[in-house]
Amino acid sequence: MVELREHEHRTLSAMGRLIGEANVERLMKESGLSDAAVMRAAITLQEKGLVRIHERKETVLKLNAEGKLHARKGLPERRLINALENLGEEASRKSAFEKAGLEKQFIPIALGWAQKKKWTTLDSKADVLQAVMKPEVGIDERLLQVLNEKEKVMAEELDPELQGAVQVLKGRKLLDVEGKTRRVIELTPAGRETLEEGASEAPEVTQLTQELIVGGKWKKVKLQRYNVEAPVAETWPGKKHPYMQFLEEVRDKLVTLGFKEMVGTAVETSFFNFDALYTPQDHPAREASGIYFVKSPKEGSIDVPKKILDNVRQTHENGWKTGSTGWKYKYSTKEAKRLILRGHGTCLSARTLLSKDLQVPGRYFSIVRCYRPEIVDKTHLTEFNQVEGIIIDKDLTLRDLLGVLGKFATEIAGADKVKFRPDYFPFTEPSVELAAYRKGYGWIEFGGSGIFRPEVTMPLGIKEPVIAWGLGIDRLFMMRARIEEIRCIFTQDLDWVRRKAVV
Amino acid sequence: MPTIDIDYAEFERLLGMELHKDLDKINDILAFVKGEAKLFDEKEGTMSVEIKDTNRPDIWNIEGLVRALRGFLGIEEGLKEYAVGKQSAEVHVDQRLENIRPYIGCSIVKNLRLTDSIIRGFMHMQDKLDQTYGRNRRRTSIGLYNLDLIKLPLQYTVTKPSEVSFVPLGFTEKMSLKEILAYHPKGLEYGHIVRKHEVYPILLDAENKPLSFPPVINSNDLGRVTEDTRNILVEVTGTMDEAVLNTLKIVTLSLIDRGGEAYAAKIHYPHRRLDVMTPSFDTGQMDLNVDYTNRVLGVQLKAKQIAQMLRKAGHGTEEIERNRVHVQIPCYRIDVMHPIDLVEDVAIAYDYNNIKPLWREMPTTGRVRPEQGMIDVARELMIGLGFQEVLTYTLTNPENLFKKMNRKKERIVEISNPKVMTLTCLRNWLLPSLIEFVSNNLHVECPQKLFELGKVTLLDEKRETRTRDEDRLAAIIYDANASFTEAKSTLEAFMANLGLEWQIRETEHPSFINGRACKTIVKGAEVGILGEINPKVLETWKLENPTAAFELDIEKIIKIKQKEQ
Repeated sequence: MVELREHEHRTLSAMGRLIGEANVERLMKESGLSDAAVMRAAITLQEKGLVRIHERKETVLKLNAEGKLHARKGLPERRLINALENLGEEASRKSAFEKAGLEKQFIPIALGWAQKKKWTTLDSKADVLQAVMKPEVGIDERLLQVLNEKEKVMAEELDPELQGAVQVLKGRKLLDVEGKTRRVIELTPAGRETLEEGASEAPEVTQLTQELIVGGKWKKVKLQRYNVEAPVAETWPGKKHPYMQFLEEVRDKLVTLGFKEMVGTAVETSFFNFDALYTPQDHPAREASGIYFVKSPKEGSIDVPKKILDNVRQTHENGWKTGSTGWKYKYSTKEAKRLILRGHGTCLSARTLLSKDLQVPGRYFSIVRCYRPEIVDKTHLTEFNQVEGIIIDKDLTLRDLLGVLGKFATEIAGADKVKFRPDYFPFTEPSVELAAYRKGYGWIEFGGSGIFRPEVTMPLGIKEPVIAWGLGIDRLFMMRARIEEIRCIFTQDLDWVRRKAVV
Repeated sequence: MPTIDIDYAEFERLLGMELHKDLDKINDILAFVKGEAKLFDEKEGTMSVEIKDTNRPDIWNIEGLVRALRGFLGIEEGLKEYAVGKQSAEVHVDQRLENIRPYIGCSIVKNLRLTDSIIRGFMHMQDKLDQTYGRNRRRTSIGLYNLDLIKLPLQYTVTKPSEVSFVPLGFTEKMSLKEILAYHPKGLEYGHIVRKHEVYPILLDAENKPLSFPPVINSNDLGRVTEDTRNILVEVTGTMDEAVLNTLKIVTLSLIDRGGEAYAAKIHYPHRRLDVMTPSFDTGQMDLNVDYTNRVLGVQLKAKQIAQMLRKAGHGTEEIERNRVHVQIPCYRIDVMHPIDLVEDVAIAYDYNNIKPLWREMPTTGRVRPEQGMIDVARELMIGLGFQEVLTYTLTNPENLFKKMNRKKERIVEISNPKVMTLTCLRNWLLPSLIEFVSNNLHVECPQKLFELGKVTLLDEKRETRTRDEDRLAAIIYDANASFTEAKSTLEAFMANLGLEWQIRETEHPSFINGRACKTIVKGAEVGILGEINPKVLETWKLENPTAAFELDIEKIIKIKQKEQ
């Protein structure tokens, strides 16, 4: 005996009740199943050879307003011939039309079709219209009547003879014709046999319920086999933002390497962002095109010992005791107090060097948002993250600086090779740029660094050499995440964030 | 950092090397001067070079760039001395310029053979120096003239805006200085430097013919250099004595490198009882200590080796002692302020890649900032609760923070020079960033459950920077079924997992629906707000689904936790 699932059984029984053939709508009604369930059952029944699914073309015919009028009054040519008969089979056109009561727009139609059907002849010179014969009811008239009785008729369900008239009425624009494709399910002989034998309906269930489990009823039912390959709805887990996850990795690495995190505020004084880093007060980076200024309040305070402030001033003006010529201009404390949005994380390093908690030897880092008035494009952001820091110890040399960079390249960028190039920052000398090579990625510029100039460290009271470094973290992330544009980091595209793999 | 465009064929010719446009090779060479070739313009035959050093205006032109490279490449090592011939011009400076643009430097360069490419190079150099070193002509500005059309001596003086007229460069009609400021493109660009003064600077020849209206525009008659020009007068005016002289020096050296002979000009400052001869090509002197050099670089170089490196960098080293090299610094190296600059020159000539990196073990322990631990926990909890983390700018605009949130404007940190009108201030709360994010993702599948852990900036008069930053957490639920209840139950789970008891106090907040907003209280302290977003707010952001959200002051919560422990 064939075993059927619940939905298959219900569909097949419904087929039986519907005498072996039905469309989906009728099956839905009969079986009480949903559209999708009927179709799924029909497909699996077809796989078992019990039904066949046909696609059937249906042509729906419907009389239009003119068609309905003619159905009621008769076709214009029929009305004309009837009038002629009443007038003794011969009459002038005018009297025939009057007798027929033909509306003006139907006169040419009546005349044309009556002659085409050879019901009348016309002697236009003598103006005599003559009936040739008494015509029988034509198939076009029969079809018109059939259509008039029903709102809708399927062309395929008509007598073959009547079907021939469809084109005629359609040509006379009395019909609306609409084509449809319908699925029709038909019982196969095997299906009929199965029905007659009676298939066993295993009580099959879709959803395993608490009731089934607890009551032990699950033993008596059959759990429906699923099409495990069928697609399912997408699920979006909660997860970290890919860039934040990356920064977290970098932070962990730096902590492992012995670096302590520094903190500060987005708004900074020019003193810490520039002056303490030996950037002259008329440097282009301090102009409106290089840094964001705070509208109000315009000035902050510089809470450092007066002596330090004085050292910095003198170093800018004449080099003070640093052995430098200085920048040779008149230093302004007012300019130093100007509030800006920090343009780099190095201001935190300057603050750390002045902190009473500074430890020597010491390693410090920061990951902070920085701001510069750039137009956002493929390679620039106006707000971005910087990862940077300092190392302080007696006798640090350029070799230590290269060592730190090499360590970052291998630990953070996973580099196979490194290359050092001369770089420039107003606050470091010598300055070094790091390029890291990684198989499959090529060379990328990965960081800028240097040893703080004596003009930076001495005025702040630092005697030991200080190495300062910054990592080109955005470029590294772009490489890792395989994104082309830096602005993707702050993307507002939720779909991208959702789809970005975690690893 | 400046980017200069140089004629590539000229570059190879002057350098005396064929590089076949091999970018790697070119960049290996340019590394010596902190330069990087960015692109070739095949049509113009030029190469763009980005120079990272903002303190080396001497190499922002093809002549200076090649001069520096030839040393490092061993083609021409050691000090290159430049001579200036006898005084051939005089300039009388008016006292009334004192508070306007007091300084001028001048040189004469004769017997030049100019080509179109050389002239274009000069124009480019002039532009770069004016923009960068000259601080957009505020500090210095340069003028070149056809000497043969000028009657010496010159008068650097002042005039009333409508008094003097001349045909400015690129024009055919005479214009007064006032008209130049009003109509000429350069007048519109640089007029602001002089407009505030009652009188404007003017440079006249002996017959009162204007050479230029510094720092705005030169005369079209005298200030145009062509391939037929043999003798050039160079003039630099400015507000800073040394910068004027440095600029004049750099420009004159380029002309000398092109085969010209330089002659001096005497500048008379009668009011200061001072005469200055310009240009000056004096060599600088500095001692470099051998131990100091080795201590900075971590190498063991002998005085002779150090001297050899210095000569590659273009310095002179006549006197070499065991522990000291007496260095003659070429006149154009205006960036050398301290022996450390010479140390870097040694390192570059030695090649950084020949110095062995060293990773030094140090007894330091790494540590994240104290707040980070709790921030990480908060992130994990929100993720566990099914929320997607997003990242947004801390820069925004008051409209987003207040008007579109149905709130009155508060005092916040605004930028006086915003670059785009959508980013004009720092946010003082986080929720608008999330709502904006959702508004950009209306087509994306719901429910959208998002959170951000980010900073906000608040004004705080007591602080050095008049502000303080706070760590905040905001979360949002955007969905057909989003509700106050869902947000509340999320927050409840969050608080419970932080081991915090919390209370709710109903509140009114214009961004939230009345009767569906509350303050969240922990240990009597207000730590945030929660509620269902006001449809008025949804409408302005064009959100189409109910939206529930909360925002918490993570730092306050951290402090409460710390007190507990």
